[in-house]
Amino acid sequence: MSAAASPEALLRRFEPVVRSTKGDKFFPMDVEPYVRACSLWVQRPGEEAICVAPRGKLDLDRLAQQPLDEVGAVHFLKFTDPRDLAPPGSRIRVFGRRAARGLKESREAFRAGRGRLARVGYFSRFVDALYSITLLARGRVPGEAAAAASVSYERIMAEEGARYRYHGRVTRQDGWVVLQYWLFYPFNDWRSGFFGANDHEADWEKIIVYLSESETTGEVRPEWVAYAAHNYTGDNLRRRWDDPEVEKVGEHPVIYVGAGSHASYYAPGEYLTELNLPLPRTLARAANAVRSFWKERMGQYAGEDEEGPGYLHIPFVDYARGDGLSIGAGGDREWDPPRLMLDPPPRWVSGYRGLWGLYARDPFEGEDAPAGPMYNRDKSVNRAWYDPVGWAGLDKVSPPDEALDAALARHADLEARCAALRTEISEKSRRLKRLGVEVAAMRGRSHLDAPYEEGARHLAELSGELDRLRARLATDEAVSRSLEEYAGRLRAGERDPARAHISRAHRPASEAELRVSRVAEAWAAASVSLMLISFVAIAIFEREHLISMLVLSIALFAFVEAGFRGRLVNLVSSVNIGLAVVAALILLYEFFWPLVVTAVLGVGLYVLWDNLRELGR
Amino acid sequence: MAGPGNISYRPVRAIGLLLAFQVVCLAGLGVHEFLQVDWREIDPQRVVLDASSSRQVIEAVALALFVPPAVITLMSALGFLLLRRKGWLLAAISQGVSLGLCLWLYTQVQPWYVYPIMAYCILMILYLNSHDVRVVFHAQWRAPPQQPGSSA
Repeated sequence: MSAAASPEALLRRFEPVVRSTKGDKFFPMDVEPYVRACSLWVQRPGEEAICVAPRGKLDLDRLAQQPLDEVGAVHFLKFTDPRDLAPPGSRIRVFGRRAARGLKESREAFRAGRGRLARVGYFSRFVDALYSITLLARGRVPGEAAAAASVSYERIMAEEGARYRYHGRVTRQDGWVVLQYWLFYPFNDWRSGFFGANDHEADWEKIIVYLSESETTGEVRPEWVAYAAHNYTGDNLRRRWDDPEVEKVGEHPVIYVGAGSHASYYAPGEYLTELNLPLPRTLARAANAVRSFWKERMGQYAGEDEEGPGYLHIPFVDYARGDGLSIGAGGDREWDPPRLMLDPPPRWVSGYRGLWGLYARDPFEGEDAPAGPMYNRDKSVNRAWYDPVGWAGLDKVSPPDEALDAALARHADLEARCAALRTEISEKSRRLKRLGVEVAAMRGRSHLDAPYEEGARHLAELSGELDRLRARLATDEAVSRSLEEYAGRLRAGERDPARAHISRAHRPASEAELRVSRVAEAWAAASVSLMLISFVAIAIFEREHLISMLVLSIALFAFVEAGFRGRLVNLVSSVNIGLAVVAALILLYEFFWPLVVTAVLGVGLYVLWDNLRELGR
Repeated sequence: MAGPGNISYRPVRAIGLLLAFQVVCLAGLGVHEFLQVDWREIDPQRVVLDASSSRQVIEAVALALFVPPAVITLMSALGFLLLRRKGWLLAAISQGVSLGLCLWLYTQVQPWYVYPIMAYCILMILYLNSHDVRVVFHAQWRAPPQQPGSSA
């Protein structure tokens, strides 16, 4: 099939197979029935939200008009209204019972499995508990919303017929034919259904397949694929089509969807996903400075945290087991024909810049619904929309047919630069020699002191410049040779390693991690509460030794926890450093002047020893 | 010179010797403190002692608290000298416990010997945690990540 084929045909040829997790209740659907089931609201700054289009009066055309738009206004859809569940005896009460039953069924279908708590760590569980408590104060999607959304979704599926649809877009960028599959889920119930970080109405996820196109025949060939997971971008999202990690059914890539979160993964399993909460700027700067001093000035080991100390990491488990409903080629359900979003994009895509579900006013934005495929929550244009190639880090990679030409062109550039450098070096080398002779001729002549000094300065400058030019030439020649060899390999049909671009791939938990013992899991479940109870007991019964007992109990809990999680080395190291800092301060306080005198004597003796050593040579 | 895959055991031996030296010093300190007290003056029937004797006795007895960390230190020192690199954790625990004891004693009776022990422990902790030393142990604790397709 060539790129001249219809966009729909291209999309359908490579459409993904979506494998969800048992217990997941929401699947990719068309936006039209969803929008019809929603009401449209506007939240203007400092005012109560007002409904501008009630449920039943809204459609995709009306949505695109985005009425009452003004500075600071936030437009959002409301898919469910859990307050409707409250009145007793009403039909809505029956609706509520159905919702509760649906949620129970979902929970029965899904089992978190052993080791979930033990895998996320003691400190994280504690922060997680605090984070959950803050949800009460922060804006959040009400607890009943997931159940209500589930019932609304089932009603839509019953009325429309069970339809599973994606939204497709085909674009061309940097020599690539880009197939974008936008999956719309009516609800994200990661927190309420699967122990995750957040719940929100509406969820937009995307899968991108990158095709190369033969210049001669126009045939297209899949080269790369990128699955979106949370807000990650860049090289690590991307896999080469022939990477064994990319599972395929015929030409259809298989996606394992995270339960509730709908993040997409290449392999089935349970993934540890970190929610990175940024520390306040001052604190982050201080933490960075301390880490830098500790590592670089003190030569101390500072761990392998790639994100640096500016973030508080709260890990959650994303369950992408692939044991639930499967949609697509060879699956339980087939895709319906896609809704196309070809350029120019439909008005509902480009015209509506608001949120696709409830605006919960969450300062961390985790509980707010996302914006549409084209926009971010702040109404800026989404990179995955305007730069789908750069979004997955493919902007530095040439399509295979162009790679050889690119390598040869770069080689020619470098050769031209080397030639220019050689000419410049030759000319400057000649000039340097003449200047050297001139300076030598002036040496020791008192009446030529000033021109001699000027000449010597020029000589040093020119010599330095020549040195830099020669170094640059040597590097360029090495790169040029390397490019020549690389072009030769490309000519022979050789390709780069499929995973050379990946620095940190998401990997599901290993069998060993999943086999965390029952004792460890029990400890993980009870430890936070036990520690708080022990604090209270110490405060009541051991007031005389309050500080010592608190320190001892924290040390004991931390030690046991670190033992279970195999982090004993890190714990001991951190505690030791803390104790060493306190002890050093005490020594400084007790022996300030003796320490100063010792330091001065030490420096004096070192200088003496160094000088004597020099004399002895 | 130790290159990649050719790990230098020099820091391991050096730590072993320093730990052994620490145990010897602690033992010497114990003997010295023990000899300072005139044990004949202490009558088990009479609990009351004069202030200076009482302090000497407490300081000497408090040194007994360092016996468990000294034993762990000795074990880790032997481990290091026999090139068993897993002794790092034992050594780190012994230094942490010793330092914790020193800090606790400092808040209670402030015996003179806590200061040299503190200073020695600080230096040992910094050395044990230095990048060069940790790298030696890291090589064993963390196997390089497996690339897909490579054999285990």
